[in-house]
Amino acid sequence: MKSFSHLLDVEERDPTRTPPVQKAHVVRLFRTMFKYPRVFALGMLSVLVGIFCTLLEPRIFGLAIDEAILPKNWDRLVQFTAIYFVVTAVRTGAVVAQGVLFESLGQKVSHDLRRSLFAHIQSLPMSLFDKNPAGRLLTRVTNDIAALHEMFSAGFVSMIFNIFMVSGILLWLLSLNFKLGLIAGAVFPLLMVAAAMFSRKLRVAYRAARSRMSALNSFLAENISGMKVIHLFNRERIQGERYERINEWYSDAQMSTTRIFSIFHPTITASAGLSMALVIWFGARAVLDREIPLGILVAYFSYVFALFQPVREIAEKWNIFLAGMAAAERVFSVFEWKPEVNTGAVSASEVRGHLVFEHVWFAYEDPERWVLKDLSFEVKAGEQVGIVGHTGAGKTTLMALLLGFYRPQRGRILLDGIDLREYDLKSLRAAFGVVQQDPFLFAGTLEENLSFWGGNLPPSNTIDLHEIFGARLKEGALALHERGINLSVGERQLVAFARALAQNPRIWILDEATANVDSESEAAVTRVLDQETRGKTLLIVAHRLSTVRGAHQILVLNKGCLVESGTHESLCAHRGLYSRMVHYQQLSEARG
Amino acid sequence: MFRRSQTLKRLYEESFLLREYLWKYRKLVGAGLATLFVLDILEILPPFFMKQAVDVATGNEPLSVLRWAAAGYIGTAIVQGICRYGWRVFLIRSGILAGRDLRNRFANHLLGLSASFFDRKRIGEMMSLATSDVEAVRGAVGSGVLVFADAVFYFLTVPVAMYFLSPRLTLIALLPLPIVPWIILRNEREMHHRFEKVQEAFGKISSLAQEGLSGIRVVKAFAKEEIQNQRFEEAGQAYVRLNIELAWVRSRFSPTLDFSMSIGLVLLLFVGGRALILEGLEGGAAGALTLGTFVAFQRYIQKMVWPMAALGVAITFFQRSSTSSMRFKEIFDEKSDVPDAIAPRLPAGVADLGSLAPRGFRTAGRVELCHLNFAYPRSERLILNDISLTIEPGERVAFVGRVGSGKSALLSLVPRLYPVGKGMIKVDGVDINEWPLAELRRQVGYVSQDVFLFSDTVRENLALGQEEPEQSALQQAVELSAVHDEILALRESFATVLGERGVNLSGGQKQRLTIARALAKHPPILVLDDALSSVDTQTEEKILSSLRSRPGRNTELIAAHRISTIQDADRIVVLDGGRIVQMGRHRDLLMDVQGAYFGFYEQQRVREELERYSESLPDVGAAVGVEVGVTS
Repeated sequence: MKSFSHLLDVEERDPTRTPPVQKAHVVRLFRTMFKYPRVFALGMLSVLVGIFCTLLEPRIFGLAIDEAILPKNWDRLVQFTAIYFVVTAVRTGAVVAQGVLFESLGQKVSHDLRRSLFAHIQSLPMSLFDKNPAGRLLTRVTNDIAALHEMFSAGFVSMIFNIFMVSGILLWLLSLNFKLGLIAGAVFPLLMVAAAMFSRKLRVAYRAARSRMSALNSFLAENISGMKVIHLFNRERIQGERYERINEWYSDAQMSTTRIFSIFHPTITASAGLSMALVIWFGARAVLDREIPLGILVAYFSYVFALFQPVREIAEKWNIFLAGMAAAERVFSVFEWKPEVNTGAVSASEVRGHLVFEHVWFAYEDPERWVLKDLSFEVKAGEQVGIVGHTGAGKTTLMALLLGFYRPQRGRILLDGIDLREYDLKSLRAAFGVVQQDPFLFAGTLEENLSFWGGNLPPSNTIDLHEIFGARLKEGALALHERGINLSVGERQLVAFARALAQNPRIWILDEATANVDSESEAAVTRVLDQETRGKTLLIVAHRLSTVRGAHQILVLNKGCLVESGTHESLCAHRGLYSRMVHYQQLSEARG
Repeated sequence: MFRRSQTLKRLYEESFLLREYLWKYRKLVGAGLATLFVLDILEILPPFFMKQAVDVATGNEPLSVLRWAAAGYIGTAIVQGICRYGWRVFLIRSGILAGRDLRNRFANHLLGLSASFFDRKRIGEMMSLATSDVEAVRGAVGSGVLVFADAVFYFLTVPVAMYFLSPRLTLIALLPLPIVPWIILRNEREMHHRFEKVQEAFGKISSLAQEGLSGIRVVKAFAKEEIQNQRFEEAGQAYVRLNIELAWVRSRFSPTLDFSMSIGLVLLLFVGGRALILEGLEGGAAGALTLGTFVAFQRYIQKMVWPMAALGVAITFFQRSSTSSMRFKEIFDEKSDVPDAIAPRLPAGVADLGSLAPRGFRTAGRVELCHLNFAYPRSERLILNDISLTIEPGERVAFVGRVGSGKSALLSLVPRLYPVGKGMIKVDGVDINEWPLAELRRQVGYVSQDVFLFSDTVRENLALGQEEPEQSALQQAVELSAVHDEILALRESFATVLGERGVNLSGGQKQRLTIARALAKHPPILVLDDALSSVDTQTEEKILSSLRSRPGRNTELIAAHRISTIQDADRIVVLDGGRIVQMGRHRDLLMDVQGAYFGFYEQQRVREELERYSESLPDVGAAVGVEVGVTS
């Protein structure tokens, strides 16, 4: 297995590092549970009632023998039969209640966790989203929470129930007859020692299985995405064989967990057998010696059977418990990431839109690789400014800084003379109306998208969506699919524009918003745009230079630096980067 | 009758995987079932020993029987323990092995499918087949069969033992039995129904989360985190509600079964107790009830609860497995649309040696396109339209054209990534459909724009094409593609692990590594589809000129934008709308100022000049304020 070790978790590469279940996480889980004291208390009550009835049933059976059948008392038999029926019915009810109560408790707890995890992730700074792909975060919210829930409802509840059950039976046995109780329970401590040993082995084995499984799956996923390369290099057979080897390795791990169980279960069977034989041997003699009535012996039979079942169940649920704890570790580690800091309190809802960049320097991760270098410029309130430059010149980053997604490392950005850091983040972002080149829309109706589920709709006199989506809107509410893929890019931009309009922004940022709009809707957009952005600060990130021809000011970025600025005419006269870009685009457009 | 045979046929089809693996591991399964059977037969003994103990205690049997009862009990337990070990090892093992086999089969099947399949399927879908669907089938082979057999064996043994002890009590105790199947069926259906609703709600939650996380920029830019939380919360609450509805059915299922069997206990207590009171406890007469039998019956009835529930469990296992099996069937029915040649043929001269090419065989590298048409599978749109062209051995041909002109599609056909439509591509005079596919791909080194490297060492990535890579060949390849120095600069040079768990290279480095990977297999025909786009001009020129000098005569098909790359080619093919619109040498093509090539050249020239100019601009410096008063 020489070349697979890099596929494994750090933990399995170094098997000595199997950290025990973290106590803090268990405590945290417990605390979420106590948020629903009523459901929890009712659940525990039904557990206790259920266990009590379970204990009662064999005793009633025994008493029926001692007090009705042996003394041939017909009336008593009828009574005991009735009591037995009632107790059984109550137990059934209690078990059903217990299932429903703990399931709803588990659901509520995991709902709370899922909700707060989602909210927490949303509050994280943008840089964390750059580092962690959405898929990984999604797994935390869906699969890991599901594993946690599984642990709670299957693992945890059954653990509580079974521990109560075992202790209940043991106590009851001792109180019925101390000597026989000791004899019946004698095997039990030994079994617990064995169980502890097995559980340690199981933990290691399960961890190995989990980590090999994820190695196997990431190998397959990678091969599916690199399938063309595999075909081109005739690697089908070799990759197939490597997959088979990792697969074999994984099933070995599965096998070893099975082996541990295969030994553990017979151990329980043998212990139960021994315990029962002791009860038969000493119990029957005790009855003959008149130390105990026959009914107690008969009841003992049932109790000893019931005594060993919980051990079996706890062992079966152990894996769910471990997988849940592993998921808990991953989930709680996300909670430890620090949310975005809101540094200011100034409201930006009434800003005029005067922007100043003062020697702004910014780098994403690597502090050596500046994306924006010593950027300084001014945009007056109500001015229309075009921002142009090649891909990677820093246009998008500049916009992200304005929205407070990132903070410059050096220099500062002033809005109406106040540093951006002083503004309340949410009000700052709400002051901007952003329309992206390929806007992200949500699954839902058009209205829901425009109002963002219950907010303002764009003023009806501004943009007439019926004009554009007329036919489709007439058929009823227009339902957008995921990301709005059932609309054309141009239509998506229109919706995004209307969505921004509904926020009544103070400053507009258009990321080449009209690039893909067909000529018919372009006319509509241009008209509304002119009308709605008049008098407001307007920043246009332009790839098509013709869109910024009329701007008051054009900023030309190159490799993170501001290299030129001026009006279209003055920049063209200067014969620098901008004029060359214009020349190139004219050529390209002529070619079509 | 007709409908029943239909259902049986469907069940038969849906269980194809289950049947296959049960047959394959019949020995393990057989051994497992045999030990299980022994275990279940032994299950009838413990109540019998209890009966003996009670009979001793009531004086119906002599004290010496007690020794036998106790010893018998321990003995039974030990043999049962061994059987429990046996069935686990045999049956669970067969399930694990079946899971392993199914995963292998699935992965190998995928490896045999062609590019068009992966273009239309999502990875997530494939991964869920490899994980949860495999688990469903594995569950049926291991646990499903076990649980089902266990239930059947119980039905075959326990009632027999009861009947043997007392036919009358057996009838009474098993009176509630007929309602059990009804309970199971009703609950199964209801559970299934509610479970589907829960799944649907979960789907809604995950798509909301997915959407919210991938659209996080929009959410943040609009400061709508609160509303997103609220929507997520609502979906979550709906999910909780449906789950609680499911919990009602699920939680009452086994207690109800248990309760209905407990009615048997109530009846036993009443009828059996009455018989004991009326007929006496001594049990002298043959067939009369003893207290011991009464106690044993109590135990037997308790035992009958499990097989009842087990049937329901087994049904669930088999249902899940058949749903998953049908999903597998769909994938297993998929065939590659670029199958290996049925009657493989090699170019004349080589063919003498049979269809297997000798080691180190290299084609001359003549590529002929004859009236080639192409549309992507399952699409109507013609991407290539009647292309005819012959590329001579050793020639370098550059393909130019706009996005969508068809040059990428054309190049991807040479190594048969997609099926050739009408027309034909010949390599050394042999239709590529007749070439042994692996041999054809050995002859063609194809590098596309999208770089894919495995998360493995640099060496493993480079040696992808070879069984026994030689360091010198790898060395030469990385030198040719000008990435040698950068590899040496890595922490562990050739042994450095790349990818998510290793080192991340820049786009240009990755591109050069993928070129080196293709060169390392020493292909006579090299296809570069915009493979140098992230490499700077000087390096590109260096790579291309060193390719010229690489040993052997090599045919090169290159799609590119940069003029330096193109003008150096022996021939330039200009594509537009899937047709060849111009062809010739750079100088000749430029003569036609109305031609597509001239326009392309002009545009590219200005673009490169623009790039050079922007490169030449000072890195950090004050902006040139053209109009007074705009810069601060």
